[in-house]
Amino acid sequence: MDVVKGEEINDSTQHYEVLMQLGDCHATVGYYELARQYYNKAAAIGPDEAGPYVGLGVISLHENHLEDADIAFRVAYRLNNSCSKAFAGMAMVHQQRGDYRTAFDLYLKCMELDPNNLTALLGLFQSSCQMGTFAKVIHYLELYLGMHPADVSVMFSLSALYMKEGRLDDSKKLLLDVIALDSSNHDAVNLLEEIEHKIAHDMQVGVNV
Amino acid sequence: MDPIVSIIIPTFNRRLYLPCALGSAVKQDYKNIEIFVVNDGGEDVSDIVSSFDDPRVTFINRGENRGKAYSLNQALEKATGKYVCYLDDDDIYYSNHVSTLVKVLESNPDYHVAYSDLYKVYCNVLPDGSRQALSKVVEVSRDFDRYFMFYFNHCLHVSLMHRRDLFEKTGLYNENLNILVDWDIARRFAFFTDFYHVEDITAEYYTPVEGSDRISVKGRKDLDKYKKNVLAIRKTRPPKPWYKTKDLSIIFDADEINEGSTRTIGQVVGHTFHPYKFYIPMPAYDWARINSDLSNMVNVDVAPNASRLEKFDKALNECEGEYVVILPDRFNITDLWVEKAAYALDHSCGNECFELEDSSECCFAVVASREDFIKARNQFPKYLLRDSLVAAGLVIKKVDELSSPFEFDSYIHLAIQKEEDGDWKRAIEIYEYLAKSSQNKLWVKTCIAKACFEAGYYTAAVKLSEELNNTRPTVNTLLQHAKICRKMNDYTDAIELLKKAEEILEGKELVWM
Repeated sequence: MDVVKGEEINDSTQHYEVLMQLGDCHATVGYYELARQYYNKAAAIGPDEAGPYVGLGVISLHENHLEDADIAFRVAYRLNNSCSKAFAGMAMVHQQRGDYRTAFDLYLKCMELDPNNLTALLGLFQSSCQMGTFAKVIHYLELYLGMHPADVSVMFSLSALYMKEGRLDDSKKLLLDVIALDSSNHDAVNLLEEIEHKIAHDMQVGVNV
Repeated sequence: MDPIVSIIIPTFNRRLYLPCALGSAVKQDYKNIEIFVVNDGGEDVSDIVSSFDDPRVTFINRGENRGKAYSLNQALEKATGKYVCYLDDDDIYYSNHVSTLVKVLESNPDYHVAYSDLYKVYCNVLPDGSRQALSKVVEVSRDFDRYFMFYFNHCLHVSLMHRRDLFEKTGLYNENLNILVDWDIARRFAFFTDFYHVEDITAEYYTPVEGSDRISVKGRKDLDKYKKNVLAIRKTRPPKPWYKTKDLSIIFDADEINEGSTRTIGQVVGHTFHPYKFYIPMPAYDWARINSDLSNMVNVDVAPNASRLEKFDKALNECEGEYVVILPDRFNITDLWVEKAAYALDHSCGNECFELEDSSECCFAVVASREDFIKARNQFPKYLLRDSLVAAGLVIKKVDELSSPFEFDSYIHLAIQKEEDGDWKRAIEIYEYLAKSSQNKLWVKTCIAKACFEAGYYTAAVKLSEELNNTRPTVNTLLQHAKICRKMNDYTDAIELLKKAEEILEGKELVWM
């Protein structure tokens, strides 16, 4: 019979969630010590959860305590080896240490688990710029844009990569889209100008040849 | 002078939690109480009881385990309070529990029962036996609904307070039941009074996530035993007069009792939750051969060659219900088969009777008031049943699908289905329709707020969440409000709300713990 005997909430994670939210909110406004306390309490309530350690790792990153951050993200990974944020965190640690190759690989793993992770995507972009390899990044940026078609920052990054790869028409098209969405985006306007100049130059060279 | 309130705490082998339970009773802000702790043959707890050194506490130390109902009855024999309320040995009252319920009962004398809302606390039991709260949720917050109470208990025992003199009408707790003694008594109260629902949260009951040790939960695992108890409760009929519900007389319309009709009778027993008596017209010597242990089945002795009309008329004259149902042999019996029509008759303006869902020309099944039936049969004794009702000027109506006793639940189910499909907009529309009725307003508002949040209507969600948290903050409503604030980058408010939720979860207001 269609009766609702209760609200049928069988949720044993509420306290954990409240503590995590408190940790995240305090971390966002820069109260790291309080955030750390809440994450530690969350870890005590949910000893098998990776979340608190990701939070602790992020705080350590903000404070530039790379060693502590690395440990926290590794604990998160150990608790949940498909925790995309743990991979992103470890990647950031490696990136800050200048180990772009490892950072790149870890960002890639993160993107495989969570193609929506913008932090990892931008990290992937940055580390690939630092290494000078773009092919894989382009794939992930395109994938991400497929899911978030109006994300101007990703559109801009992708157009920059297209330009570096010599795909000037693709780059120009994307920049026009960026400007259509945000006409005050000076970086896009400047890059478009640069590309148009390059296209004109290439055509000139072609004519001369 | 404030009326005396009797608090009864039965206990069985829960030494660790009893001090908290008893402490929460002793620390009530309402002082005119008497407390009965009844040891139901468990380990000795006399040291715990005496440690409170409170003259208001009476300890009944029984060596033999005889169950909850027996313990409650033993305390009730000694109770002198105008009102009675109950506390399990592993649960706790908030300090305003008794005062909140006394206040509404004293100011609403037509109500003889009141109940509040409770937190169900999901907890971890730590190695030392202490409990760590993982969640506190208001699982049941329903306004009183008599039909629902006949079907399922929606007023938890710990939340209940009632006038002691109600027992004069209902009788005491049923000591033959192994489980559901609380539903049994609440159901019997519902024959005589409405229940006042106070939406304040005034107590907590605990459920370990690694499996509950509650006797009521363990008891339900034995399905056969559970069903037997349910059936025993449903057939319980307290002494009349009943002030708040009509009695239903089901008259079986069959040529003879054979295997098929026995099945129909069995289905009636299994599916009917409205209080009823089942009248079976058949010769008494045939009836004697039937082995029936159902106390609410009545034989109407008829001549072996009596016609179906004669059988019916005899049963009609003998039956005692205010409502009469004609049940043809092999009629399709499903859930709510008769309750929908009885509910429609409850809400009828008169001069109407209601045909059951699968009724037809050749298999006529109807619910009418006994008075109307008698009038029709007296005026037109030679007519067939349907024709006599029509000739007597009664309008025979089909039951309206939308006005069933559990209409609210049907809509809630529909809304939940829409939520599961991700159609939050449609879910909101359904909830808003429900919000227009007078039932379960807080519950529905909570659902709308959640659906608005999920649909991304943050402004509406914030407004509703604020209203909810001003009326009755719960961990869930505070958490949801905080999430919306976060979405809107308002971290200061989010933190404040989350801290309140954390305080509830940590039990900061429970000063005696």
